[in-house]
Amino acid sequence: MVIVKIEPEGQTVEYTKLNTVLQLLNKQGLHHTDALVIRNGELLTQDEQIRQGDEIEIRKVVSVG
Amino acid sequence: MKCKVCKAKAVAALPSHNAAFCKEHFNSFFMKQIAQGIKRRNLLERDDKVLVALSGGKDSLGLMYALAELGYNVTGLHIDLGIFESSIKARSVVEDFCKSKGYPLRVVELEKEGVPIPLIKKHIRRPICAICGKFKRHYFNKVAIEEGNTALATGHNLDDEIARLFANTLRWDQGYLSDQGPVLPAENGFAKKVKPLFRVTEYESAIFSFLADIPYHHLPCPYSSGASFTGHKMLWRDMELRSPGTKRAFYKGFLDRGRPAFAALEKEEKDYEINPCTECGYPTSAGVCSICRLKRQMQESMEQEAAKGAE
Ligand code: SF4
Ligand SMILES: [Zn+2]
Ligand SMILES: [Zn+2]
Repeated sequence: MVIVKIEPEGQTVEYTKLNTVLQLLNKQGLHHTDALVIRNGELLTQDEQIRQGDEIEIRKVVSVG
Repeated sequence: MKCKVCKAKAVAALPSHNAAFCKEHFNSFFMKQIAQGIKRRNLLERDDKVLVALSGGKDSLGLMYALAELGYNVTGLHIDLGIFESSIKARSVVEDFCKSKGYPLRVVELEKEGVPIPLIKKHIRRPICAICGKFKRHYFNKVAIEEGNTALATGHNLDDEIARLFANTLRWDQGYLSDQGPVLPAENGFAKKVKPLFRVTEYESAIFSFLADIPYHHLPCPYSSGASFTGHKMLWRDMELRSPGTKRAFYKGFLDRGRPAFAALEKEEKDYEINPCTECGYPTSAGVCSICRLKRQMQESMEQEAAKGAE
């Protein structure tokens, strides 16, 4: 299980299987320059592997308001 | 992915620069973009006294930090819009940030000025964001003039500038196309206005702020549409995907070749005079400035409402 928190919406999504950051972004309809992908306080590039049990935050970068 | 400079593990890849960087080298890349942009387009002098508009978002706080790191004399200015929880949160983020870094900060409270945004929204029947923007600009200018700042800096990044330029181009808005850009010289009693983040994208700015531990908060304004990639930003996102670097080239081409042409046209036609507002002293071409006129309109609306209540 991989838990993904999506900001600024504050939603949480769970995936049973994810291999890479790129795959996660694709599933969210995002390109890699649309969002920061963060794991344990570190930024991930799109080629990074995602492991079972990871908690990941996707922080979309477009400012609103 | 590996850092282009030191081959260590990269934390970010930037297709428009055909590069990936580790934390340290991303930081030096970013600071170099800012410093070079300031120098090449003559945004700031070493002795400028810079007032930085701090909304509480990543761009404005990152800008403050970058300018301070580059050695500029900076003071923050936050406008507390009085919009419930979202303004309370924004203000506390700005205050905590400035305190922790030791930056001087000025706060203007619209509530104290008698014009909190929710009250304006109630009494003026026009799109609130346009009016909110007017008030923010008014108080930025006013504080800059009154407190002797020589430059007013805002956190607009390349994506903001591109979206605005594109909208102005679609309308062929000669006035805006003649002076949109990263620096608007001091004129008619106003301090010069600069946008030192004009060469970096929203994504790059977000990475910079993240790596610099700048607080992230998101409590959107209840009046904002909330949509992520609105209008032209969406179009440009796709254009940039197909051909990385398009945004930078479009903006640079405008500054080098488009704007001078529009500025030449505009010169021939300009014929109005700027004088201090007869009520508040703020420079205006209209006798009474638009902010004083809006305040008057609100006053009338509130009196009418009170009279109705008394009936
Ligand atoms: S979204 Fe809110 S803060 Fe932004 S301009 Fe509109 S009213 Fe002002
Ligand atoms: Zn490096
Ligand atoms: Zn006035």
